[in-house]
Amino acid sequence: MGEFLQRLLQNYPYVFAAILFGIGTFTVLTHSNLLKKVIGINIMEGSTYLFFVAAGNIRGGVAPIQDMSDPNLVYVNPLPQALMLTGIVVSVSVTALSLALIMRLYKLYGTVDSREINRIRNEVRASGSSSKG
Amino acid sequence: MSKKVAIVLLVGLSIVMLLAIAELPIYGCANTPVQNYVAERYISGALSDTGALNMVASIVIDYRAYDTLIETTVLFTSIIAVFLVLKKGKD
Repeated sequence: MGEFLQRLLQNYPYVFAAILFGIGTFTVLTHSNLLKKVIGINIMEGSTYLFFVAAGNIRGGVAPIQDMSDPNLVYVNPLPQALMLTGIVVSVSVTALSLALIMRLYKLYGTVDSREINRIRNEVRASGSSSKG
Repeated sequence: MSKKVAIVLLVGLSIVMLLAIAELPIYGCANTPVQNYVAERYISGALSDTGALNMVASIVIDYRAYDTLIETTVLFTSIIAVFLVLKKGKD
């Protein structure tokens, strides 16, 4: 158990990433406000960026920009940083599309609460079937 | 979903994640599997291969240019979808 906690302390950036991921998941699962769900998804994405960039880090390394004056510099891994640039673009695309869909829902129902939207839909369905019958 | 179910799910998820984090290589070490020959190749060859001082830029623009090309397609598709969703129509 002590060894387990020591490993967690040594890997503290990964633990922070896990905590952030948990916060994002909790937000997505418990909030019925759609905007807050989008915020939760963005927090989860941020935790994956933290995890990847931390995995490429070297203690004492410098940012991967070539420095001619000092050939003995240790550079951190540039590959996770480049991959996370791609990830940021994907997350922006997902956020833009979901915000557009939420705008459309707000225009239709006058609310951004998913429970309210479900209630209104059920009411409309019930009144529609009763008027037909 | 109710808060209790979400908390139970999250406790299970965090136990799995913490067990995995304890097995990961120690943070900040230079001889982990992440720092393999691929990163070495990028760090040593970026200047002579691409002429860029910034290695991240050389990876994004040159080594993995197709990745960036398709990524712009993703962005373009999402912009088209946003305009379709927000289009002022009959309904």
